[in-house]
Amino acid sequence: MPAKGALMLSAKDNVATLLEDAAAGTGVLVRLGAETRTVKSRESIPFGFKIALTDIARGASIIKYGETIGIASCDIKQGDMVHVHNLEGGRGRGDLTKGGVR
Amino acid sequence: MNFLGYPRPDGSAGIRNYVLVIPWGFLAAKICDLVDGTRTILTADHGSGRTSRDRETIARTLIGLGRNPNVAAVIIHTQGVGAGYPELKPTRLAEEIARSGKRVEILDAVKEGSTLRTLEKGVHLAREMVLEASRIRRQPSDLSNLAIGVKCGHSDTTSGIAGNPVIGNLFDRIIAAGGTAFFGETTEIIGAEHVLAKRGINAEVSRQILEAAARTEAIAKSTGEDIRTVNPVPSNIAGGISSLEEKSLGAIHKSGSAPIQGVLKYGERPGGKGLFFVDNWMSMGSIFPGYAASGAQLVIFQLGGGGMVGNDLLHTSTAVVSPLMWTTANPKTLARAPTSIDFYSGTVIEGKDTIEKAGAKLLKLVLDIASGTMTKVETLRHTDPSQIYLMDPCF
Repeated sequence: MPAKGALMLSAKDNVATLLEDAAAGTGVLVRLGAETRTVKSRESIPFGFKIALTDIARGASIIKYGETIGIASCDIKQGDMVHVHNLEGGRGRGDLTKGGVR
Repeated sequence: MNFLGYPRPDGSAGIRNYVLVIPWGFLAAKICDLVDGTRTILTADHGSGRTSRDRETIARTLIGLGRNPNVAAVIIHTQGVGAGYPELKPTRLAEEIARSGKRVEILDAVKEGSTLRTLEKGVHLAREMVLEASRIRRQPSDLSNLAIGVKCGHSDTTSGIAGNPVIGNLFDRIIAAGGTAFFGETTEIIGAEHVLAKRGINAEVSRQILEAAARTEAIAKSTGEDIRTVNPVPSNIAGGISSLEEKSLGAIHKSGSAPIQGVLKYGERPGGKGLFFVDNWMSMGSIFPGYAASGAQLVIFQLGGGGMVGNDLLHTSTAVVSPLMWTTANPKTLARAPTSIDFYSGTVIEGKDTIEKAGAKLLKLVLDIASGTMTKVETLRHTDPSQIYLMDPCF
């Protein structure tokens, strides 16, 4: 049986990882242990990529494994794909030390 | 739990039975071409123009490889015992390796008088040592005699969900049985160091973990580059990983849940058994010979591969004397490289196995490989070059 839906790794997470390709408009079944919920994807999201479980405002933390994996670089809607286009990592940023972006 | 290993004079057990030729020039490789059962380290890191700290790292790596339980005997090829930096003197390397009780011979090109005579002597010596080694029989050896090292690479989101946690379960099982396991890749604990530091056996170990991450991050920042253009690497991003923090939080799962006994330098041998964090660099050319020098008889590459391009033939072991095993949890990666991947843990994602069950299966395979079953890439004679992890500028 192929893997289905998406996986949350902690109850604190506001993103889940897709275990199958999801087309835009799909009701994605999100699992956290025995609990499940459904989130409608707003765009096509491939296997292994992340879906937003809630609206995430620009500047808010994006949480996976119950820990911060980055900051939202723009407003993210529930069902959006979350990746480098709307998530900004904050560690090891030599560009910021030297007075770069942000 | 037991495996069948080659007993060594220091009480350790080899899972392979090699004669190691430590190189000076090209002769070591020629000796290994001619004599079966030999290994040499293919590297450009010979210490010339390097700081004393880096020369010591090279020495530690060569000594550690010589002391690895998979090695029965060692030849050190040199251009005259008086030449070279003090850290790398062949007599020093020989003495430190010989503390393990194994036979060590210096092959001195100056003493032999010509390159071809040195080759002749080296071939005779290697054949004699291989013959001696072949008389050693595998014997049941307790799992506490096993040490393994792991790196995760071309990581994608299957790595953090299943691939690394299954390796972590293997680590927990080996450590519970009294064995030893190494993990590292300091850049890839940045963003997760606070989680790891809680697992140090004491405050000093916890401090060393945090310090390793802070030092690496400070060096990264001093370059003035956005680390996201360096690490996560492009194949991580193509596989769904969005930041270094996300990569790190997935990567640390490969260490399991055991307490961390200490933080080791690259190639450093641990003072005891259990789980160790090695302050090293993720490149497979570098990390695996370092683990072998620390004493790992087997190394594992836990492959994501979702964003990787390439075919079915993956890299061979850069650990010189320790075989390399490939694992993945990504079904697409398995489908692409079935002739290289030894173990598939994607059954966890598919709901067919729990992490526990997959970990038990993986341990069974590890014990088979420790007892003599070859890994898939081990069937190839080709060896990829190794790269010793050096820290300082060169002059």
